[in-house]
Amino acid sequence: MAAGLQLMIIDDEPIVGKRLKRMFEKEGYAVETFLNGASAIEALEKKHFDIIVTDLMMGSVDGMKVLDTAVKKNAGTRVIIITGFGDQGTIDEALNKGASDFLIKPFKFEELYKAVKKAESGLKAT
Amino acid sequence: MQLKIWHKMIIGIAIPSLIALLGGLLAYGYITDVKNRQGFVMIADDMKEHVLEIRRNEKNLLLHKDVEYFKYCGDSISVLKNYLSNISPQSTAEIGESNFSELRNSIQMYSDTINNLYGQFQTETDVVEKVREEGRKLEAYIAAKKSNGELSTNFILNVRRLEKNYMLFRDKGSFIAFESAILTMKNIVPICYECIPYTQVAYSLSKAYNNSESLINELQATGVKLENITYGIAGKERSRINAFLNRTHTLLVAALILLCTIGPLLVYKTASYIVAPIKRLSDITKKITEGDLNQRAPLKEHDETYSLAMSFNTMLDQLQLTHHSLEQSIELLHEKQIEAEKRASLGFLISGVTHELNNPLNNISLTAESMREDINELTLEELKEYIQDILSQSERAKHIVSDLLEFVGTHKAAVMEKLDIINLIEEAASLVANQLRVSNINLKMDIPNAPFFINGSKSKLEEIFVNIMINAVHAMKSSGRITISARPDKEHKRIIIDISDTGCGIPEKDLKNIFEPFFTTKPSGEGTGLGLSVAHSLVMKHSGDISVQSKLGEGTTFTITLPGFEEGLL
Ligand SMILES: Nc1ncnc2c1ncn2[C@@H]1O[C@H](COP(=O)(O)OP(=O)(O)O)[C@@H](O)[C@H]1O
Ligand SMILES: [Mg+2]
Repeated sequence: MAAGLQLMIIDDEPIVGKRLKRMFEKEGYAVETFLNGASAIEALEKKHFDIIVTDLMMGSVDGMKVLDTAVKKNAGTRVIIITGFGDQGTIDEALNKGASDFLIKPFKFEELYKAVKKAESGLKAT
Repeated sequence: MQLKIWHKMIIGIAIPSLIALLGGLLAYGYITDVKNRQGFVMIADDMKEHVLEIRRNEKNLLLHKDVEYFKYCGDSISVLKNYLSNISPQSTAEIGESNFSELRNSIQMYSDTINNLYGQFQTETDVVEKVREEGRKLEAYIAAKKSNGELSTNFILNVRRLEKNYMLFRDKGSFIAFESAILTMKNIVPICYECIPYTQVAYSLSKAYNNSESLINELQATGVKLENITYGIAGKERSRINAFLNRTHTLLVAALILLCTIGPLLVYKTASYIVAPIKRLSDITKKITEGDLNQRAPLKEHDETYSLAMSFNTMLDQLQLTHHSLEQSIELLHEKQIEAEKRASLGFLISGVTHELNNPLNNISLTAESMREDINELTLEELKEYIQDILSQSERAKHIVSDLLEFVGTHKAAVMEKLDIINLIEEAASLVANQLRVSNINLKMDIPNAPFFINGSKSKLEEIFVNIMINAVHAMKSSGRITISARPDKEHKRIIIDISDTGCGIPEKDLKNIFEPFFTTKPSGEGTGLGLSVAHSLVMKHSGDISVQSKLGEGTTFTITLPGFEEGLL
């Protein structure tokens, strides 16, 4: 059981937030969802999140910006990118910036869960 | 005439030069003649001088009647003779043989006369001596005898005085006085034997005097003739020189006039002959620079420009060939570029479609997964919500696909019909009326009352206007105004429709992208980026035009132009 790890989910598709919140909460995470990058960054200012799952393309403040901010704020924060379309250039950019994983929609919950677990083990190691 | 440039130039230069040369040569000849004639004039002058010298001596001779002067005369005559014999035969011939022979004859005559005169003078002296002797004898006789009372001593003395006077003056007056005295003496003494010798010698004296007189006259006449001949020669030579000078003058003037008229004319003609073909080439070059590669130089002249024109044309042929192959290469390149662009936009399209479709797919799959996991825990309400989500996301995916098909134009063909665009705009506006009310947006219609017919598809045209109006609503968020105005343009048989909003406006950098498929600045679910690209392709399908004008923060205006109804296009 993930003992109350703080999980942030950002996606401008409301269904993604709703479903993932329910599923990750069942696994024991404390989950907060956001519909855009701006409000997520605002929340990051106030609170620490251990793992961030973010969409890439979301209007003016995109996932890449969230990644930058999160890494800058706390290098220990793990960021997992989920996106509808990712060319190799974008994937490489995100991984270079410190994203721990990159998932392309549609993904299975199983896959995202594994990615989160992997990030979690990285957290424990540090 | 078809001459080489070289020949043309020679003609142009040679003819004036020839004129100048000819004039110069003639003038030179004349001047040489003048120089020679000048020599003749000098000869004539010299002869004249000699003749004058002779005549001076003659005058002295006649004045003094002295033997010494005969010598002077003889000397000056031989000087002239000598001079004449020293004149070259050419000069003699040039001046005139007849002149010289006349001159020689006259000189001969003159010197003969002088000689005669000399002889006459000799005789005369003898006679004078005799007269004196007889006079003295008569005088002595009269003085001694005294018997002859008729002839007084005084009378005789008077006669002798007259005799002396006559001898002294040798003129007519004194001769007549002397002669009348002798005649008187005869009258006084008709038969006077003592008087006879005196009167006889007195008569022979008068005879001698008369002879001398006629010789002197002859001499003077010959002298005048001599003078005239030499004067004549000098005058003739002078007038010849003048004639030469006049001729030279005329010649030089004529040559000058010729040079000044024919020279420039020839040079001008030659120059234009030479330049004409070159000018033709340059005219052609100009036309070629203006893009007419079909121009060719005429092959008229058979001179140096002929080969120039030939090479020029060959060059043009090659140029045209190169130009042609270049054009082909450019066309090929262009095709390749279009190909590349097509591929790039296809890639863009695919990435857009992928992104747009993956989102609803992801939503469906996540919802389904969630249902599978929690099927036993979910309430009926929750289940209903999940099913509704799956249905709406499927619907969304379906829309994306049909928009896409619409964009690429493979969707069901639009049915074109004659329809009133004004009425259609009103209907399209009513479709979004509800949304406008909710968003607190004001709609202003500025459309004509009369219908305006076009060829079009009702559903497609509605889609165009709805897409644009929905974008306007998104751009304004809470409140604002949309204005739709339609202006028929009778002249061009078309209608111009403006759809303006008071929204956020479009940044300059985005303006060129908004009609691209999948270009969107909106979050997922809210915009697919297909609205304007579909509107664009639909307007094109109606043979119309769509453009945009926007100012950031103030608003955006889309302008659609559609052609009016035409029977043949249905
Ligand atoms: N009226 C408007 N005012 C401001 N921006 C507009 C307007 N219409 C279109 N846009 C811009 O053009 C983009 C493309 O529009 P569109 O093709 O309809 O796609 P979507 O609306 O799905 O984003 C929009 O995302 C928006 O940025
Ligand atoms: Mg749109």
